[in-house]
Amino acid sequence: MRVLIVEDDEALAEQMRQSLVDTGYSVDHAADGEDGHFLGDTEPYDAVILDLGLPVMDGASILKRWRSDGKEMPVLILTARDGWTDKVEGLDAGADDYLTKPFVMEELLARLRALIRRSVGQSSPQFSCGPVLLDTRNGRVSVDGRAIKLTAQEFKLLSYLMHHEGKVVSRTELTEHIYDQDFDRDSNTIEVFVNRIRKKLDVPIIATVRGLGYRLEWQEGQK
Amino acid sequence: MTRTRGHFFRSLTGRLLLSAVLWSAAALAVGGMLLSFAFRTYVLSDIDRKLEMQIDTMVGISEISPDGVLRFNQPLLDQRFAAPYSGWYWQISEVGADPFRSRSLWDFELTPELGTRAFSLKLSEVAGPDGQSLRVAERDIILPEADRIFRYQVATDTTEVQDAIARFNWLLMGALAFIMLTVSLALVIQVAYGLRPLRNLGRSLSEVRSGHRSRIDGTWPEDLRPLAQEINALIDQNEKLVDRARTHVGNLAHALKTPLSVIMNEVEADTSKKGQTIGVAAKNIREHIDHHLKRARIAGGGSGPGLAIQERVEKLGRAIERLNREKNLKVDVSCAPDLKFDGEREDFDELLGNIVDNAGKWARGHVTITATRADETLRRPFMDIRVEDDGPGVPADERETLFERGKRLDEHVPGTGLGLAIVRDIVELYGGSAYLEEASLGGLAVILRLPAK
Repeated sequence: MRVLIVEDDEALAEQMRQSLVDTGYSVDHAADGEDGHFLGDTEPYDAVILDLGLPVMDGASILKRWRSDGKEMPVLILTARDGWTDKVEGLDAGADDYLTKPFVMEELLARLRALIRRSVGQSSPQFSCGPVLLDTRNGRVSVDGRAIKLTAQEFKLLSYLMHHEGKVVSRTELTEHIYDQDFDRDSNTIEVFVNRIRKKLDVPIIATVRGLGYRLEWQEGQK
Repeated sequence: MTRTRGHFFRSLTGRLLLSAVLWSAAALAVGGMLLSFAFRTYVLSDIDRKLEMQIDTMVGISEISPDGVLRFNQPLLDQRFAAPYSGWYWQISEVGADPFRSRSLWDFELTPELGTRAFSLKLSEVAGPDGQSLRVAERDIILPEADRIFRYQVATDTTEVQDAIARFNWLLMGALAFIMLTVSLALVIQVAYGLRPLRNLGRSLSEVRSGHRSRIDGTWPEDLRPLAQEINALIDQNEKLVDRARTHVGNLAHALKTPLSVIMNEVEADTSKKGQTIGVAAKNIREHIDHHLKRARIAGGGSGPGLAIQERVEKLGRAIERLNREKNLKVDVSCAPDLKFDGEREDFDELLGNIVDNAGKWARGHVTITATRADETLRRPFMDIRVEDDGPGVPADERETLFERGKRLDEHVPGTGLGLAIVRDIVELYGGSAYLEEASLGGLAVILRLPAK
């Protein structure tokens, strides 16, 4: 899952980035409104954390432009002013949820998880596919109740596939969603990760769709 | 009592009345004295003239008889000199001889001081017979036939005249007292009328303070206009100061909250004693900031241009729908299009935001917001806003406690619990009211009565 943070306070942005990376997200950061708008416009993010008070261009304006350009990714707005006037402006501009500063990281992570879940039409924080269970709250993966240890990149990849169960996901899409923009992308590594995951899970839930990419699905009696 | 009187004379009305009454009383007193004096002088000089004429008449008919006695060569026609104690008397005296007297004197005798000469007319007052008080005119005359000096005296009783003067004085005092009373009444009316704009100014000012007006408007008398303008300027300045203070508070919040986030996140995972202590302190700071910011943001003034609420309510409805997309919440807004809230936008958003957010959290899928103009019979215009949800509702005996600070009935639904207490604070500041009842949709209905434009 790839997340964009648009926040002008470096310390807070760094804390959020760190927590998100630790939880298994790929994170990009923009420190002003113009950069933030550009990144959100050009890169495919699974969610955006947007501060309302930003230099150059304020959060509500960015949001309105994204929405009028047809960008539908879930957006969580951060506001220091906890008055309803700001909240209403943000939500009316197209935000999906708001968080009032100061907040604790746990709350941010929970809201973000819920937003991403909702955006793919899932109501439970746990994703399952056959015997495979992925809990977005603690980043645990298990097969038939047996815990599986995955690396950060492997988890990101599996998590993205679990969020888009039954859909064909291309290598490029996977790359875009599990690496941040500074990463030197090499699509070969995706195949390496997929193979490692298949081995660790030991259940055939990731199918290769020739020439297109991968699809996560479970068919009864496949084992 | 002394204090009240002191207060009265220190008031403008008191001062104006006191000085006006004192002045007119003094003027009337002096006028009265002059009038009385003039009347008395006129009456007395008339008598004096009559007395003098009488002396001239008597001199004209006087002659010395061959035996050397003074007598009249024809009788005095005036009968008043004949009747005893009639009030009109004459006497002609000579040193060393019995005086020649009118019959009216009877057994009484005037006592002229013959030792001193009085060739010009001399006037005096003496006591007469029968308790009379006499005005006496006297003059020394040397008759051509005899080389002797006679003192001619004519006297008249002035009791009647004095009575007339006294009567006149009483009448005068009565008239003056009446004038004084009328003038005082007129003064009271005049002062009340003259000071009325000042009282109106005071009333306008207190209406500004209570928020029913924004300015001291209307037309004022020439001499009050500068005062009214100064007061308006002061109100403007005050508003600017409040605005600036509010902006500062907002900026301070913004400035404090981001670093506070950093601190809280930094110690979040820190399980050491130090980390825990900092965490608790940071949480306290956050609560204080929240509470005081909310209080500071409440403006409660009102009487600006008024806030058209339809757009605000619809926006808020959309925002709450968006927040509760998961359960497909529908927020229906029905708002009279011309309805205006007499107050600040932030306060309105805070009020309705908290209530509709709350309704959205509890609702199963439907919230309605209805805003109508309140009953016309109220003293000032009000609006009623009714927010209903189809949630589980609240039992009647627990409804009141919902407005208490930090009170939440269900800990599972997120929120700080501060919301409804803030709602009550704002509503009270605007002189409105808030109460809860059962909604027709089944859940809770919150009814707000707020000042309208």
